[in-house]
Amino acid sequence: MNDPDAAGGGSFSRRTFLKGLGTSAVAAVAAQTTAVAAELEKVNAEKILGPGEVLVTLEVNGRKLKLQLEPRVTLLDALRNYSSLTGAKEGCDRAACGACTVLWDGTPIYSCQKLAIEAQGHEITTVEGLAKDGKLSKVQQAFIAKDALQCGYCTPGFIMSVTALLKQNPHPTADEVKHACAGNLCRCGTHPHILQAVFQAAGVKVTSKTEVIHA
Amino acid sequence: MKAFEYTTALSTDSARELVADKGVYLAGGNDLLGLLKDYLIPGPNILVNVKSLPGLNRIERGANSWTLGALVTIAQLEGDTDLSKVFPGLHDAASEIASPQIRNVATVGGNLAQHSRCWYYRQRDVPCLKKGGDLCYAREGDSRYHSLFSGNDCISPVVSSLGTTFAALDATAVVLRDGKETRLSMAELYQKAWTEPTAHHSLNPGDLILRVEIPTARTASAYLQVSDKHTFDWALVSCAAAADVSGGKLNQSRVALGSISPVPHQVEAANAFLDGKALDDDIASQAADLILKEARPLEHNAYKVPMAHALIRRTLLKLKS
Amino acid sequence: MPSWPTETKYISHPTLRVDAVPKVTGRARYSSDIQADGWLYGMILRSKWPAAKILSVNLDKARQVPGIKAAVVARDGEFTVRYYGEEIAAVAGTTRQACLDALRAIEVKAEPRNEFAVNENEARKDDAPQVWEGRSNVAAGPPREHGNVDQAFGECAAVIEGFYTTPVQIHNPMETHGNTVSWTDDGVTAWASTQGISSVRDGLAGALQLDQSKIRVITDFMGGGFGSKFGAGVEGMLAAQLSREAKAPVRLMLTRFDQALAVGNRPSSFQKIKMGAKADGTLHAFEAENYGTAGIGAGADSGGGGGGADLTMPYLYRVPNSRVKQSHVAVNAGSARAFRAPGNPPASFGMESAMDDLAVKLGMDPLAFRLKNDSNEIRQREYAIGAEKIGWKEKYQKPGSSPGVVKTGIGCAGAAWPAGGPSRSTQGEAQINPDGSVEFRLGVQDIGTGTKTVIAVVAAEMLGLKPEQITVKVGDTNFPPGPGSGGSTTCASVSPTVYDICQRGLQQLLKQTGVADARGKNWFAACKKLGVNPLVVHGNWIEGLSNRPAYGVQFAEVAVDTETGLVAVKKIVAVHDCGLIIDTLTLESQINGGVIMGMGYALYEERVMDDLSGVVLNPNFETYKLPGIADVPEIEIVLLNMPERGVIGIGEPATVPTAAAIGNAVANAIGVRVGSLPITPAKVLAALGKVPHVATT
Repeated sequence: MNDPDAAGGGSFSRRTFLKGLGTSAVAAVAAQTTAVAAELEKVNAEKILGPGEVLVTLEVNGRKLKLQLEPRVTLLDALRNYSSLTGAKEGCDRAACGACTVLWDGTPIYSCQKLAIEAQGHEITTVEGLAKDGKLSKVQQAFIAKDALQCGYCTPGFIMSVTALLKQNPHPTADEVKHACAGNLCRCGTHPHILQAVFQAAGVKVTSKTEVIHA
Repeated sequence: MKAFEYTTALSTDSARELVADKGVYLAGGNDLLGLLKDYLIPGPNILVNVKSLPGLNRIERGANSWTLGALVTIAQLEGDTDLSKVFPGLHDAASEIASPQIRNVATVGGNLAQHSRCWYYRQRDVPCLKKGGDLCYAREGDSRYHSLFSGNDCISPVVSSLGTTFAALDATAVVLRDGKETRLSMAELYQKAWTEPTAHHSLNPGDLILRVEIPTARTASAYLQVSDKHTFDWALVSCAAAADVSGGKLNQSRVALGSISPVPHQVEAANAFLDGKALDDDIASQAADLILKEARPLEHNAYKVPMAHALIRRTLLKLKS
Repeated sequence: MPSWPTETKYISHPTLRVDAVPKVTGRARYSSDIQADGWLYGMILRSKWPAAKILSVNLDKARQVPGIKAAVVARDGEFTVRYYGEEIAAVAGTTRQACLDALRAIEVKAEPRNEFAVNENEARKDDAPQVWEGRSNVAAGPPREHGNVDQAFGECAAVIEGFYTTPVQIHNPMETHGNTVSWTDDGVTAWASTQGISSVRDGLAGALQLDQSKIRVITDFMGGGFGSKFGAGVEGMLAAQLSREAKAPVRLMLTRFDQALAVGNRPSSFQKIKMGAKADGTLHAFEAENYGTAGIGAGADSGGGGGGADLTMPYLYRVPNSRVKQSHVAVNAGSARAFRAPGNPPASFGMESAMDDLAVKLGMDPLAFRLKNDSNEIRQREYAIGAEKIGWKEKYQKPGSSPGVVKTGIGCAGAAWPAGGPSRSTQGEAQINPDGSVEFRLGVQDIGTGTKTVIAVVAAEMLGLKPEQITVKVGDTNFPPGPGSGGSTTCASVSPTVYDICQRGLQQLLKQTGVADARGKNWFAACKKLGVNPLVVHGNWIEGLSNRPAYGVQFAEVAVDTETGLVAVKKIVAVHDCGLIIDTLTLESQINGGVIMGMGYALYEERVMDDLSGVVLNPNFETYKLPGIADVPEIEIVLLNMPERGVIGIGEPATVPTAAAIGNAVANAIGVRVGSLPITPAKVLAALGKVPHVATT
């Protein structure tokens, strides 16, 4: 019971997609997303898709990705393994570590615990989509300035959580930052610097209390 | 995760039809995808996305009762400023659930219908009683996260903190069952888990939670939980309390505990005891005694008795403020 | 004799991490991000039995799953598995979904053994099932004894006896273990998530019977290791075999579940300590008996010791009369591996807990008791600094005397990391181009500690350039060899090496261009005079610029809710030395990290085995609990900069004393000792006598 559309033009296997990346990606205007969502719903609603591969169209960082995916493919799997967007990381694959955090219509979610097929019609933002015209976002800049990363594997997830927080709440308290970042784990133990980075990104001057004694 | 078919339902009738006898509903998906990834449930052959069902993602405010659509997210509950005034206990329960990423997608219905978090149940290679095996491994083994009360041999506790809070608020779940709307109290929603080891709740396959109705009769409510960690951790014990407080005295009091029983734990005698009383430490403590009187702790979870006692007292005293 | 410059522009100042931009933009390609042309996904089938004889593994049906390109067994013929999670077979296919289906299609015939032991207290009994058939589970070394212990206890004014235990801790780096391996006729290329590219190369060469020169290992970015990622691992070998069979690159990263079972852990410890002091507070007699498990990698068959289950006791202190007995207990669980300061955090927890308990019994202030018995001058200074920072004088109170339900307390503990010296064989090279750009190439890894930044800082300082003008390349076996990144050795290895490269580079520039001092403002002019050919200079680690060991002390302030048992760490003061500081910013990060990992050890982390089924109950982040940002306290760091000592690493000492300091602060708050890590609410309530007694079943 495959989606008949899936066999049609415009769909790519992962392999051909990878080779053609850059040329096949089509810029999409964010404002159109909602309309697209509604349209897709009508087209796909109550139609039984899968279990084999079907055409899944994702909007990631303002670009359209057309992928051939089984319905059981998670959004994280689709990004990392069916396209070249490896910025979102797999840390646990069980909605417990936050390394896979992406924005779903601006809201942070765990992409490992969402099916890619569900993401159709929603605007997905990954860490690769934050810098505009080569200029890093304020949050990215602050993470660098405060050394809010060590091995860096959890970093994209934290950055996505913080980006969403500051958009909603430009001047958070420390407790609000902790509440917003509760779903992200870091094993290197970078948390104090992450806290500093959030304040810095929020325009609050933060100075290190570390003291160096010249012995 | 096995392969499955996928579809999106546009009406509750078609959702039920599409699910048929081997499908499952997909809303937030947090619990479901976890279960599927670890092969903890048989099948399913199809996932029916119910998030487009009309009208189920709203919070409706009435004078006598509020209605929460089953698709309302935990984040919606947490962010609703009116709700935090009318049902502060519910707001606090919502804000302690999991993490922002989960609250943003997890729904009221999914929270109520989630499966046990027992680490034997969730361990794919342990054929425990809850999976249909012969033995409750927790009873024999490490029961640190398990129940003080149970009506059957399985001691995995209910972990829905919304279920616990709704119980204290005397809320009703409206469930689509066999084509009809069926109203279930929280006690009824979980009753089956009390008696049947393989049950997580009383819902039958194909039942769909539509909404939850909460009476506004209780003017005060509170929720507290204790976990090993400060955030993003399951409750070791959780407690919700609600009452109509007037003239400093409690009426229609209800206390419910989570994570210590397969159902939201309520003791009628304790609720009755509290009615008409002015709260103080001593009264709260006596209520806690009543609530925990029948506890049957094991070696590894006996700590939950004093912990629950403290939580009951604190939650009740919060009703005063 | 070489020496570090005394006036510095970058050394001992904060420099931004040089590889931060790719990490914050998602451009950084970790081993798990590698998408080599035509790559396949790889996965491992693991034993679901804690002990079994595997009679046969049939891969036929797995191979028939659409998309599957290769399937291999972990070992040929019949074999025995000895723990839940041991490797049985592996598959490679075009998608994760194909691999998942294939794993379920593998047919394993096995004879599960009904008898096994996953719990060290059971496994050490005489009649316990043997993990290694025909051999005792317990391997005891000879007692280490000096003085006259039995007599000495009689001479003490106070004697305590305590039982202190620490759990098996899992490394849990955010990126799991794994590799992408491409095996072609030309050789093997492995993109490895590793702390040691050279050891991965040598391991693969040995296992695959290939020349070392045929193997290239690349680690551009890796997501943490903490001691568990030095070899290619079984998963690396399997990926290579799959790649050869499939004739395509195979990316085989472990799942989080896999990671918790099979790729290392910190051994547990069960420490029975008896210790006595004279009336003036001088330690006089000490006796300890310790056992712990390193999984199957312990016991009589382990060959190479207990994988860190041995503890150096009485740790930082000299006691004239002491007797120490150690044993390792084999259990049916995954082997231990090096874990950030192996042996030290458990030793610190046991010994420093005993120190506080004895101080209390003597009626002495625990800090004064330490100062009396710790002969190390640097730590003496550090204690003085830390005591002032935390406000020891004002805050230290009699144990349990804090009023109210939520009680506060403070505690402290000391650290050493004696092994943190440099690797003397470290080499590196720099290519100085005519346009003035310069690239440093060292066969080391940056595992998140800031090694690339250290190289840039030292090079910039020595050449009079800015760190951002230095291109740093590490993590490639094609570069001159360097040590594995572990044991706090990397900084002390690479810094003198880069120094040497720079000195040689400047000398060579002088020779070739005649520019007497090519540094700083003369740099570009000098380079231009090179003409068309870049200058490549090779350098080695040199004596006199690095050192060991590092010391440190930490103070903890906690609040304990005596009704719920919940511990909140309010503040940690960490006072550390590491000789000459290279970059204060990344150093600060590493100390924060050590403290937070130590805090996890103190309060949350514990691998839980199930006696009956033999499985790991918490192979996930849900019930193997790591500290979150809300659990992390204010951390105040004081660094002692001692340039005259040379460069010393800091990764290990920063995590050593944290759990002990927190444990002592909890004991100070509530007036009773919780002698078992992690200090959970359940254990706090039990220590306070609040938990009803339940007969064990």
